[in-house]
Amino acid sequence: MTSKSIRHHALFLFFVLFFAAPTAVLVVSLFAPGWTWPDIVPKQYSTKALLSVWQHKNAIAMNLGVSVLYSLTTTLCTLLLSLFPAYHFARAQFAGKNILQGILLTPALVPAMTFSMGIHHIFIKLSLADTFGGVVLILTIFSYPFMLRALISGFEAYSHEYELCAKNLGATLWMRLRYVTFPLLLPAIIAGGSVVFLVAFSDYYLVFLIGGGVVPSFTGYLFPFITGADRAMASALSLIFLIVPVVLFIIVELSMRRFYQRSGLY
Amino acid sequence: MPNHSTFIHLRYLSPLLIPFLLFFAGGITLAALQSLGMGLPFPYDGGMLDSYEALLTPYMLRSFLLSIKVGALAAFFSVVIGTVLAIGLWRMPSLLQQAGVIYKIPLILPHLAVGFIVFFFWAKSGLVSSTMFHAGIIGTPQDFPSILFGSDGWGMIIAYTYKQIPFALLMVYSSLKRLDMRLLETAYMLGASRARAFCTVTYPHINTVVHSTFCILFLFGFGAFEIPFLLGGSQPAMLSIEAYNMYFRKELYHRPQAMAILIGIFIFSVAFLTIYLRAVAPKRLEKQHD
Repeated sequence: MTSKSIRHHALFLFFVLFFAAPTAVLVVSLFAPGWTWPDIVPKQYSTKALLSVWQHKNAIAMNLGVSVLYSLTTTLCTLLLSLFPAYHFARAQFAGKNILQGILLTPALVPAMTFSMGIHHIFIKLSLADTFGGVVLILTIFSYPFMLRALISGFEAYSHEYELCAKNLGATLWMRLRYVTFPLLLPAIIAGGSVVFLVAFSDYYLVFLIGGGVVPSFTGYLFPFITGADRAMASALSLIFLIVPVVLFIIVELSMRRFYQRSGLY
Repeated sequence: MPNHSTFIHLRYLSPLLIPFLLFFAGGITLAALQSLGMGLPFPYDGGMLDSYEALLTPYMLRSFLLSIKVGALAAFFSVVIGTVLAIGLWRMPSLLQQAGVIYKIPLILPHLAVGFIVFFFWAKSGLVSSTMFHAGIIGTPQDFPSILFGSDGWGMIIAYTYKQIPFALLMVYSSLKRLDMRLLETAYMLGASRARAFCTVTYPHINTVVHSTFCILFLFGFGAFEIPFLLGGSQPAMLSIEAYNMYFRKELYHRPQAMAILIGIFIFSVAFLTIYLRAVAPKRLEKQHD
């Protein structure tokens, strides 16, 4: 091995140790409920935490299910809201465009507490507090800028002449959307959608504030375990938190590939 | 006709403009009104600026400075380490680059879980403390310095840095992918040192991304809730926690003060974005003139 190759492998080893090892420690901790100071390696292993997860499987599944559901709904809402504005920002030229775009991106930049707490008692008056719809609404307001930004780049990445060309060849609006716009925009939709999903799925505060503990959420379910004494259980639940988005991203990636293969694009 | 075209623009942008105005701008406005003692869900007889005056204490100043310190240090460490790692990843052979996606693990983990991992390692009875015991540096968990829950905020800085490095790495790495590696090789062939090649070739290319990433990360660390709630101290706490305590844990008449803190956070964030981005922008123009 040349010195260059050794350097690359050493850096890769650092990547593994720095990014993956702490999470791997959670896997060890999951099987070692009695792991306490000053043991560097646990003295004994057991599957107690796994059994405990199994016992609570209904509560876990319910909280996890609602979390996934409101995150997916939020992703869909941000997509629907951002499509036309993103198209317009990418294609049209008008005075004040950059400033307007900057202003529309602020909800993701300034801390979410600032606008959510001011609006909290209006949500209570409108009976939106403590409801699924209210949670989706507040998460959408906070996270649409990620979708908007991704879609603008997506539209900017290809020329409008593709659509024009299809039109000239006699394609109807539906055909243009189905065979030109959608396949070209799909990577941007997935990039923006992944970020929005992650933001919504891992949010604790907004769901706590607007959901008020009535709307189940996995972050709300996880919180007492993290601050509690049962580290094995907290490790197990944290790992579940990692697995769900990863599985979802793999499914999305595979279906995207299948879509492109079937439409013969790549 | 300008009026006509303005109408068309607004119509296209309305799916976002309407929710933005109603809920975001509306939420900020309501918070501002409540901070001035108006529109509260209970009778309030204080003056307009009472809540702001009540916040002008050395304690709140310390809370403000702590928030800036935590946000800025975490964003700075994340951007620097993220950039170095991104350049390293970018230069790796493609097979290793593909396996390098494991860097996204802390990106996917929610803040709560990252907080738990930091707790696992850095608490007084954590893994680092255990390791130091076996190395003979400390005798009991109490000898281990209180990194977490302290008023100097290092626990939060560690957590934010760990959570944010992958984000900075992702941003810089995707920018680097658009940079032609041959430019760097040419610089080396012409005798440029590593530092000089970085300053004249790599950095100008990633400069915009680095600055916008710093802004995003700084403002997040400055005002977010979860990590301070898990790992922060209380004397003083971060601004977000102070606002939370005023709103949920104290009497109703403290609510205008909670709102005043939030308005303070908002004004600071907007002012920071405007000033920082303006301070960075002219430099880029000068470089183009060179």
